[in-house]
Amino acid sequence: MPYNARLRTHPVMPPQVTDIILLVEDSDNDAQLTMRAFGRSGVENRVRLARDGEEAIAYLTGLGKYTDRVKNPLPAVILLDLSLPKFNGYQLMLWLRTQPEIKRIPVVVLSESENSADIGAVADLVQSYWIKLNEKPRLAFHGKAGE
Amino acid sequence: MANRNLTAMRKREASSDPDSELVLVRLVDAVEDYGIFLLDSRGYITTWNAGAERINGYKAEEIIGQHFSKFYRKEDLDSDKPGMELRIAAEAGHFQDEGWRIRRDGSRFWASVVITAVRDEQGTLLGFGKILRDRTERRRAEQHYRLLIEGVTDYAIFSLDVEGNITSWNTGAERIKQYAAGEIIGQNFSRFYTPEDRAAGLPQKVLATARASGHYEGEGWRIRKDGSRFWASVVVTAIYDEEGQLTGFSKVTRDNTERKQLLDQIHRHTEELEIQIREREATNADLESFSYSVSHDLRAPLRAIEGFATAMREDYGRLLDDTAKDYLDRISSAAVRMNVLVQDLLDYSRLSRVELPLEPITLRSAIEGVLGQVEDREHLEVEIPAGLKVVANHPTLVQVLYNLICNGLKFHAPDVVPHVVVTAEKRDNQVRVEVADNGIGIEPAHHQRIFQVFERLHGAEAYPGTGIGLAIVKRGIERMDGKVGLQSKLGEGAKFWFELPSA
Repeated sequence: MPYNARLRTHPVMPPQVTDIILLVEDSDNDAQLTMRAFGRSGVENRVRLARDGEEAIAYLTGLGKYTDRVKNPLPAVILLDLSLPKFNGYQLMLWLRTQPEIKRIPVVVLSESENSADIGAVADLVQSYWIKLNEKPRLAFHGKAGE
Repeated sequence: MANRNLTAMRKREASSDPDSELVLVRLVDAVEDYGIFLLDSRGYITTWNAGAERINGYKAEEIIGQHFSKFYRKEDLDSDKPGMELRIAAEAGHFQDEGWRIRRDGSRFWASVVITAVRDEQGTLLGFGKILRDRTERRRAEQHYRLLIEGVTDYAIFSLDVEGNITSWNTGAERIKQYAAGEIIGQNFSRFYTPEDRAAGLPQKVLATARASGHYEGEGWRIRKDGSRFWASVVVTAIYDEEGQLTGFSKVTRDNTERKQLLDQIHRHTEELEIQIREREATNADLESFSYSVSHDLRAPLRAIEGFATAMREDYGRLLDDTAKDYLDRISSAAVRMNVLVQDLLDYSRLSRVELPLEPITLRSAIEGVLGQVEDREHLEVEIPAGLKVVANHPTLVQVLYNLICNGLKFHAPDVVPHVVVTAEKRDNQVRVEVADNGIGIEPAHHQRIFQVFERLHGAEAYPGTGIGLAIVKRGIERMDGKVGLQSKLGEGAKFWFELPSA
C-alpha cells in the first residue's frame, strides 16, 4: 500500500499480548505494498499473511500448519481484505465474533469496495474500515465494534 | 244470400240445433280477414263469405256454382294442382299450402290455404271447407328480408334446423366459407369446425347453449372449403315457432381473421417486450457484477502499477537517472489517469441503471457540497438566491454541478485567469441553473457532440480529462426529468445551463 497508514497496535483486550499482525489478503501486490508501508512507517510488529478466509480461520484456531502457538501466536490485530476467495471477509467476521477465545481481537478492514452495502454489512463487526484507493486510502468509519 | 246457401247445406246434414247453427253461419259470413267457403266434393263453390269477397274480388252470386280452380294460375292448372289438393285433402282429411292465386281483376296475391274434407257420419265425402288468407304483404316483407340477408357480404348469415343441418345460405356465407348454396344446404354445420373442435364436441355444445339460453356467442378458428382457417366471431340464435317449439337456429358469422392477427401481433409484441424487460433486468444484474469486477479486478492492478512505481522512486530513486525517473512519473500518471477513467465509467453506467430517488433540495446547500471539492475556489463566483429548491437526486445534482464547474475552470486559454459564475433563477415551474465561464468557447457545430461519452474536442495534453464528464451531466439531468444545453461561440466563453423541476 503506497499510503502512510500508521497502524498503532494497542490491542483492546487480546487473549494473550502478542505483537503479531494477521494480514488477510489474497492480492500478492497489495500484501507486498502493505508490508513495505509497515517498514517505512516504523511498524516493527511481525506480520503473518493468510491468503484467504480458510487460511485465516486455520491460523486463528491453530489448525493444520498453525498448531504451534509459540511460533504462530494469536494476533494483536487483524487487517482484513473483504473480497477473498473461498470464505469472504464478511463471512470470516461473522464466524470470528462467535468464537469466545478470539472474538475481541480488533479488526481493520482494507477493501476496494466503496459500496455502502458492503460497508454497512460489517459496520457492527469491525473496528474500522479503510477504502483502498489509488492515492491515499479513505477512512469509511472508525469506531468500537459491538461485543 | 251466402248464408242462405250455407244454411241450406248445413240443413242437408240434418244437424241438431238450428239456432246455434244460424249464429255460426252469421259469424262466418261476417269474417273479413279470412276467406271461408265450402266446395262440393268435385270442387264447385257452394258458399262465400265477406272475407272471400274482399280477398278474391268476386261477389257471392258471381262465384257460387263455379269451380274453385278459377283462382289458380295457368301453370298450376296445367299440373292439375287444384285436383291434387282435393285428392290429398280427401285422403288425409287436410291440405295446407301457400302460393300464388289470381283475383277477379287478374292480379296475383299470395294465399295461405287450408282445405279440410267434410264427411257425414257414414264417412261419405260431402265436400270441402276452405280457409284462405291473403299473405301478400307478409310475403313481400319476408322476400325483402331474404334478399337483404342474401345480399349481405360481410357476414355469413344462414339457418340451421334443430339438428344443425344448413337450410339457407347467403352471399356472405359463400364469400367467407367458399361453399355455394347448392353444395352446402342440407349439410351439417359441424363441417366448418376444426377436427380438434369437432373431437371436443364443440358444435353440439354451441347448439346446446343456444337451445338452453336462446343464444350463443363465441370466437374461434373455422375451416373454409379450401381447408384454410379463418377466425370466426359467431352468434347463434335459437328460433321458436308460435307454440314455443324449437324450429332451428340462425347463425351469423363474421370473418375476424385480420383483427385476430392484429390482436395476436399486439399480444406477441407485448410478450416480446416482457421478455426484453426480463432480459434487461438480467443484463442489469450482469452489469452490476461487471461493474464490481471492473472496480475490483481492473483497479487492483492499477493500484499495483502506481504503488510499485512509487516504491521504486522512493526506495531506489538515487540509483536512477532523470530519464528513468521521468519514465516512472509517466507510468504513475498513466495509472492515475486510467483509474479516473474507470471511476468515471462506473459513475456513468451507474447513472443509467440505478434508481435515483428524487427529493426537494435547496440549491445553495448542494453547491456548498461542491465547493468543498473544487480546488480553484477563488475563480468561482456563486449567485444563487436563498431558498431556491429543485426536485433532484442529491448525489447526482452535486456531481452535475461539480462536473460543470470543473469544466468551466479547466477550458481557458493559457494566458487568461479562469472565471466561472454560477447563477440560478426560477422560471415558471422550473429552476434554471447557468454555469458561465470566460474560457475558450465551443463552436456551435460541436454543441451536441460534446455530451456524448468519450467525445473530446482537445487532446488530453492540453486539457486533461476522460471525456465522460459532460455525458454524466446530460444523463444525470435527464434521469432527473430535466433538460441541459449550452450557449457558446469559439473564443467567447461558454454558458452551460440546465433546468430541473422547481420544488
